[in-house]
Amino acid sequence: MTQQALQDEIAHLERRLRDAKARLKQSPTNDAAAFTSPSASLHALLLVADSALPLGSFAFSSGLESYLAHHKPSKPSASQLSDFHTFLGLSLSTLARTSLPYVLAGYRTPADIATLDNDLDASTPCTVARRASIAQGRALVAVWDRSFKPHYHDASVCASAAATALSLFSAALRTSGQVNGHLAPLWGLVTSMLAVPLPQAAYLFLFAHARTVVSAAVRASVMGPYQAQAVLASAELQEQMRVLVDEAWHVRVEDAGQSVPVMDLWLGRHEKLYSRIFNS
Amino acid sequence: MSFTSPFGASTSKPGQGSIVLDILPPDKPVLRTVSYQYPLKLVAPDPLPPPNYVKDADDSVDPAIPRLIHTVFLLTYGGGIVAGDSIDLHVRVDSNTRLILLTQGSTKIFKTPSPELVSRQHMTVNLQQNSALVYLPDPVQPFAHAAFAQSQVYHLEKGRGNLCVCDWVTSGRSARGENWDMYEYKSRNEVWTAEETGKRRLLVRDNLILDKHGKTEMPLSWRMDNYSVFGTVIIRGPIFSSLSKFFLDEFEALSRIGGRNWGDAVQPELLPHEQRRYERQQREKTDGLIWSAANVRGFVLVKFASREVEGSRKWLRDMMKEEGSLLHKFGERAMLCLK
Repeated sequence: MTQQALQDEIAHLERRLRDAKARLKQSPTNDAAAFTSPSASLHALLLVADSALPLGSFAFSSGLESYLAHHKPSKPSASQLSDFHTFLGLSLSTLARTSLPYVLAGYRTPADIATLDNDLDASTPCTVARRASIAQGRALVAVWDRSFKPHYHDASVCASAAATALSLFSAALRTSGQVNGHLAPLWGLVTSMLAVPLPQAAYLFLFAHARTVVSAAVRASVMGPYQAQAVLASAELQEQMRVLVDEAWHVRVEDAGQSVPVMDLWLGRHEKLYSRIFNS
Repeated sequence: MSFTSPFGASTSKPGQGSIVLDILPPDKPVLRTVSYQYPLKLVAPDPLPPPNYVKDADDSVDPAIPRLIHTVFLLTYGGGIVAGDSIDLHVRVDSNTRLILLTQGSTKIFKTPSPELVSRQHMTVNLQQNSALVYLPDPVQPFAHAAFAQSQVYHLEKGRGNLCVCDWVTSGRSARGENWDMYEYKSRNEVWTAEETGKRRLLVRDNLILDKHGKTEMPLSWRMDNYSVFGTVIIRGPIFSSLSKFFLDEFEALSRIGGRNWGDAVQPELLPHEQRRYERQQREKTDGLIWSAANVRGFVLVKFASREVEGSRKWLRDMMKEEGSLLHKFGERAMLCLK
């Protein structure tokens, strides 16, 4: 490029800058009124929906890796895409039957957090699933303590009751051996303090799981990143998650249970895989 | 004129039953109560001394080993559970006693005229300290269009009872082409501990829900991944410690999934137990049996699934026999349903 061409370009850009400044001066100043301010709950939702939330979820495939190993195609080159879709459906359905009631209970009755944590631990029959749930739950407590707490602590009376429950629980996590820190009830508790509406918190719990499994599928070379986004955007997935939240809405934690028994086997046998890229 | 029955009003309800195993001082275990109402039936054969009692008696009698082990068969009239039946059994096992519960053939669940009419079977077991229960029944076999919910709830005094219980279910009458065609099958296993303070704490909950409720559930047969049998074994307590350890060790010794034999490793001469393990693992492959074992909260939880009922039955029997302590401490009867 010649000296002359560059000088022309600079002159052109300067002219555009002047024009833009002039237009800004002429424009009416009451734009802010027409613009509705995003609510605080949207902001909170964005915070917990962020895939960069440091829960370490990317380390877990929630049984996908083991499932794929148990369903090796006869030809090594064959695609496992249809198997993946079956698995995602089963996995979401299992999560909604086993864990979602604990999310709802953690949100609604924060004072019961220690019992919920114990009962969910008692209902988790394999070490692999237990490890994954606890690692993410404890990470969520850490994020709350270090990042969110100073900004949300005295938001409302309800939130402060939950906050008391959580600070007690968080202290017990460090001292008592009987406290585990499972993700589901803590997810409910933390989203209640952030004042995320419960239906959204529950939906997000499922969505985050779907996103984790889909992301694991990309890394396990089942599908490409564009296909992955298409799965997450699909109407079927949305419909399934909406119905699952709806169905779990009135399920008591005592009645949470396994609807896909072979899932426990896939998860339990993850430890027996010859090669692993995930922790679950 | 009204008619007044000359008999007192019955206090017992249909389907109720009670088993109390007590110690008659100084040390004789006796079945104090065995009561039942239609459609439940309980049969208690004569108790037998445990195989290890006689042997150990030569030098000194171990006070921890009871003189007799009692067995009770849980039966139903007609050999199955009909729509609307409701069974409620309470079992109490006193300190230092041991009880074996058995069934006679699979528990058949007949079809229900309407999915809302659910048959039920509840069992509550109270285990005092140092008592033990072995409950290795035949599987439950819900026929097509059956609706059934059962629960087995175990209360351990101060968490110190000993348990070895199995709960398994099959896909129905596979010979008639039934493949998980029931309306609903639910089975709940819970173990609670009662602390000195009177507070109860849940130790383990294993809740299986096979139903077609809801719009999102895929057909049951899809969810089962071509398996016809699913089961859970729950083991706890010092009496079963070597059995627990055996399951964990054998799980550890399973060959890696997706591992390959490159043919460059020299096959060493196998020790007898390694040879038996190798043969069992070959049978697992032919029977399409997969299993896992986990050590959680003081329990060993074993999950298994297989293509056919006999595959699981054979596997359970192989495992228990190979380890041997169950036979040694409770005798052949403990494994009668696995024959």
